[in-house]
Amino acid sequence: MDVGEKDKYELEKRNDNGINYQGSGMSSAWQFGGGSLTSTPVSLVPSDNPLVIGSASGSASIVDSFCPNLWEHPANSQNLGFCDINVQNGVSSSNAIGIAKGSPASMRSSIDRPFDMGWNATSSMLPAGILPQNLSQLPADSAFIERAAKFSSYNGGSFSDMVNPFGIPESMAVYNRGVSLMQGPQDVFAISGMKSVSGVEYHKTKLIATEASGDACLQAENRATQESSLKNDRRSESLVRSNEEANQRNGGSCNESNEAESSGGVGGQDESSAMDGTGGEPSAKGVSSKKRKRSIQGAGSQSPVEAAEDGAENQQNGDRNQSTTMNKTTTKHGKQGSQASDPPKEEYIHVRARRGQATNSHSLAERVRREKISERMKFLQDLVPGCSKVTGKAVMLDEIINYVQSLQRQVEFLSMKLATVNPRLDCNIEGLLAKDIIQSRAGPSTLGFSPDLSVGYSPLHLSQPGLVHGGLPVMGNNADFMRRTLGPHLTPVTGGFKEPNQLSNAWEDELHNVVQMNYGTAAPSDSQEALNHQAIRK
Amino acid sequence: MCPHTSLKQQFLKKWIMGLQRCSFSKKNMSILERKKTIKLSADIAMASARNGTTRWSRALISNASKDGSDNRLVQQILGPDSNTPAVATTTNKARTRRASVCKKIVKRSHQIRRRRRKCVAAAPVKAVTSSISKHLVRKRTQVLKTLIPGGEFMDEICLIEETLDYITSLRVQVDVMRSVASACFSQS
Repeated sequence: MDVGEKDKYELEKRNDNGINYQGSGMSSAWQFGGGSLTSTPVSLVPSDNPLVIGSASGSASIVDSFCPNLWEHPANSQNLGFCDINVQNGVSSSNAIGIAKGSPASMRSSIDRPFDMGWNATSSMLPAGILPQNLSQLPADSAFIERAAKFSSYNGGSFSDMVNPFGIPESMAVYNRGVSLMQGPQDVFAISGMKSVSGVEYHKTKLIATEASGDACLQAENRATQESSLKNDRRSESLVRSNEEANQRNGGSCNESNEAESSGGVGGQDESSAMDGTGGEPSAKGVSSKKRKRSIQGAGSQSPVEAAEDGAENQQNGDRNQSTTMNKTTTKHGKQGSQASDPPKEEYIHVRARRGQATNSHSLAERVRREKISERMKFLQDLVPGCSKVTGKAVMLDEIINYVQSLQRQVEFLSMKLATVNPRLDCNIEGLLAKDIIQSRAGPSTLGFSPDLSVGYSPLHLSQPGLVHGGLPVMGNNADFMRRTLGPHLTPVTGGFKEPNQLSNAWEDELHNVVQMNYGTAAPSDSQEALNHQAIRK
Repeated sequence: MCPHTSLKQQFLKKWIMGLQRCSFSKKNMSILERKKTIKLSADIAMASARNGTTRWSRALISNASKDGSDNRLVQQILGPDSNTPAVATTTNKARTRRASVCKKIVKRSHQIRRRRRKCVAAAPVKAVTSSISKHLVRKRTQVLKTLIPGGEFMDEICLIEETLDYITSLRVQVDVMRSVASACFSQS
């Protein structure tokens, strides 16, 4: 009996205050009606909607329907149970949804009964029609049923405790949402007159899925926070708590609602600031232990925001076990919302959540990897010209690719250009190159070449033995050649050496002279003469 | 460029060494051959300037020494360098990694296709754009991997590091070659 089990869950929720025996009794009674209940949810759904929509205070009507039904069907054991619950819960605070239902219901029963008629007509279909009205909104999954069965074993405790297990599937989340939605408007009614929550109700009945419920929750939360701040009542706090708990789940399941909730949370912060001092809110907040910790740590004002962010940003706190399972189920809904959420934090997390099927270490490692990559991309930004304004991996990579390709092409072109140099000038080239080495060394160290370049040359050699080692074989042929070339032409080009940084300029001057000197076939002979000259000079 | 001066000098020295060691004296080389030799010696000089600290340099040298025609050239340029045994090992590792990488690539492409189908089918515009951007990034990473020597076997982080180093080396190479070329041609 699917619905029967659902009813059991409902009952258990209502029995939070310890009316377990009644709950069990009622559950058994529910089971009797279970067979008839199966059809009722379906039938009730359409009937609910028009009533809900039509009524200015649809939620009130639903709630009132409970009470009148209870009152009007006293013979029904179930109703008796409900009555008891209502009576008992009307006074004491409640954390559970059922309790919440009961308490406001009791209040509302005094408030309003005009909708009873309409409701009675529908609820008369079933004595147990009360619950199915809630259950009609619930998805009838087998998973949910299992959860309901599991929860039915829970006794008492707060709603948060019952909802504690992390493996809460989406269906359960949906249920909680739906139920919490009930709470919100109920809360509204309890405190102030009927506010028009028909829209909320409409959403609630229409959409079990995420988005609309997020909005509804937001509204509910807003109102709830408002009223809680007004009343500063424990019950309202608990309601808000459960609202927020549901919002947490909503946050986890719906990113759009995340944004709404965070914005609503911000709005609610101001209003719920009065609640902060109570501290009761954080205590019962923990849907997961991590969330509880965080809520305890954080101020109450942060909790709405945290609640909104909890589902999305659980992983950031390092406890990924819970969040991954939740996010796993909610990623489908979260995907669309994640793109909508502009803050890169949320998007970042949702991307991670998508792959968060892995264990903690995986997501951690991936996060680290991403950070490394982004860090290095920043370096590349500085290196590659024209990348400073660019953000985003794809464009950056494109720029980098273009730059590397252009550099490689330049190398090719230059090598081709060098290849076209007349081979006869090879020795000149080598000489020039070798000279460049000397120049580049001498440039920074000695601004001007003294005429005693030979003298200066050897210190250079000595000072840089490493280079000499490599340079000697290169310049073995050319050392004298260079000395010869440089020596006589040093003075005219001294000016060139005053710009050590502009190697190319100095080069060109020198090279020009040198090449002019040595251009032609007379090079070897000149070199020989130069060598002799040098030798003679020495 | 002051910070790159030492690198420039190092490169230049090695390049000249390589050029000398090559059969440059043979005047009957075609221009293309000469260009190839010049480029090769420049690349090897650049790579050896790194002393095997970077992957791209090692990969470049190993790639160059793989070809039979260039092998002796490389050997000449490198001379009695001890890099060659390391080169061989990297080649073997590269081969084994290549096989595994190919399989990974095939698998990943399947996954990508599957994911994209899902995305496009089920998601609104924004999810599609993200998948598109991811696709773009992946594509460009592939291109970059082909550009950087030995990049196919690197993961993204390494790839970006190697790109950084490779870009600096290329810059130095281009600067030196340009100055040499301009010097050579300024005479005429």
